[in-house]
Amino acid sequence: MNENKIKPCVIKINNITKDYKNNRGNFNISLNIYEHEVVGLVGENGAGKTTLLRQIMGFIKSDSGNIEIMGLDAYKNAAELKTYLSYVPGEINYPEISTGIEFLHNQAKLRDIKDFKVADDLINKLQLDIRAYPKRMSKGMKQKMAIVTALMANTPIILMDEPTTGLDPLMRIEFLNIILDEKKKGKTILISSNSVEELERVCDRVVLITKGKIVSVANISKIKNRKFRDYKIEFLNKDDYLNFKKLNYQIIRDQEIYNQLTLRIEKEKLEQLFKDLSSYELKFISEVKYDLNKYFKEERSL
Amino acid sequence: MTNNKIIEIKNAVKDYGQQRGIFGVSFDVYKGECFGFLGPNGAGKSTTIRLLMGFSKPDSGELLINGQEVMKNRDKIMENVSYLPGEIALPNLLTGKDFLNIQKNLKNVINDKFLNYLIDLFELDTSLICKEMSLGMKRKLAIVSCFMSDPDIIIMDEPSSGLDPEMQDVFVKLIKEEKKRGKTILMSSHIFSEIDSSADRIGVIKDGKIVSIFKASDLKHNQLKTYYVNFYDYNEYQDFKNFKDDAIKIINFDDKNKQIVLHIYDKDINKLTKILENYKISDFIESKETLEEYFMKFYKNDKKYQGL
Repeated sequence: MNENKIKPCVIKINNITKDYKNNRGNFNISLNIYEHEVVGLVGENGAGKTTLLRQIMGFIKSDSGNIEIMGLDAYKNAAELKTYLSYVPGEINYPEISTGIEFLHNQAKLRDIKDFKVADDLINKLQLDIRAYPKRMSKGMKQKMAIVTALMANTPIILMDEPTTGLDPLMRIEFLNIILDEKKKGKTILISSNSVEELERVCDRVVLITKGKIVSVANISKIKNRKFRDYKIEFLNKDDYLNFKKLNYQIIRDQEIYNQLTLRIEKEKLEQLFKDLSSYELKFISEVKYDLNKYFKEERSL
Repeated sequence: MTNNKIIEIKNAVKDYGQQRGIFGVSFDVYKGECFGFLGPNGAGKSTTIRLLMGFSKPDSGELLINGQEVMKNRDKIMENVSYLPGEIALPNLLTGKDFLNIQKNLKNVINDKFLNYLIDLFELDTSLICKEMSLGMKRKLAIVSCFMSDPDIIIMDEPSSGLDPEMQDVFVKLIKEEKKRGKTILMSSHIFSEIDSSADRIGVIKDGKIVSIFKASDLKHNQLKTYYVNFYDYNEYQDFKNFKDDAIKIINFDDKNKQIVLHIYDKDINKLTKILENYKISDFIESKETLEEYFMKFYKNDKKYQGL
């Protein structure tokens, strides 16, 4: 996090609350997002992710607290900030009458975009047929339209609300590559998603929101550079299973009925592990990924 | 009755021009089966499903449910069919409860037991008005509404997109239960793991044509593992690279990182541990993407797209 300290803070969220009653909305959220940073937002359906993004966009006024974007107030100066912000909404409605081409041209006019290179590049990467009417496009195509619409303005800050919903798996990968490209260009990006796997691939930090509150913030590089590995191992017979257990490995899960255990080991000690394993009859070895999901789970059970 | 085929699609064509639509799609779904329908965005999944629901008329071909043409006897056939659309528009100002009550009347649901079970299962808060619901909550409401009449045939278009992972698991559990109860299910999805854990057979559509139909159990990805093995020593790495064994299939390697990617079936795992015993390895990672790798080939395409 030290490197972030030198970078300017682009979005500063100061203790904001938007109470929709019945425990809905968000409560006392504070978060700094720094220049060139990609930050992910996860949380159960209804946790308050969309509300937060809409507060940052200046679409809704918080009950208390404030958000500063590049020193300006997100709500009061929303009009001025439009030039710096792009947004992919979670639910999209297109006008009835225009084709994708017309729609994008109109958007470009509104945002004073004259160079379509960025747009054309995205259209090809996302394999989008813009001759069709957006209103009649399939869900995935509509989503692609929204991504092109947002990114073609080439703004320094990008906010996206579940941008990969409805995209097919290949397009999800393509989308993640696009985000990595934008990151390289120096953009500051905030993405909400239901898929921590996706966020893990592109984000510097991921924020977990539960019931309107930030409950955990994960630093992805720490998770990726973890010294340990977890493996689930099943033995073919009880004796092997019992004998192996005598070797004093750190066992984090034990399922005796299956002759199965999960161990945690430092990478440096893998050599010894395989030497030991070669004396036993195994049914399988499976790596238990230590990912963001697991991080949040372990973090929250502490 | 044509043996136990519940859904029959025979050579269905719907041409929307500019290569959009479907062009000769055929497949059947059997009683008690869950058929997973995969394919890239715009490949024709929703078009096929909508033809099957009788929402639009095919240019040619036949679509049958319970042996009857869907267009001819639509109202009668649909008494036994529930449909979950890919995109949902809910009445903004109704609460979830109001909406479910209307659906209950439309679908002639007399007994609330199953409905209440579903509401609990998906932890659905029915007191909110639809306008205030998040995307995921709307999705849950739509799923509950689809299943509540306890129909024999369930047709769903990307049912779980927008659900959080926990709710996706709940959804898969529900599908499995419904299958056990003899329901026939057709669903499209982009989530491989979901299709893999719930579908009996999988059909893949691309550019409006079925390109593959296979049994989910044929994938056997569960027993085939992909491992990334890293070595400390370059000579040992080279030595392992040249190692020949039928059970250990080296599919990729990286000289710079002294890394080897291999495929091995679980039944041969002891061969691997006995060999690795002789090497100093610095890392051992499993790739969980075998299922994804398998499907991904159906998604690739090298068309050029018109720009602005």
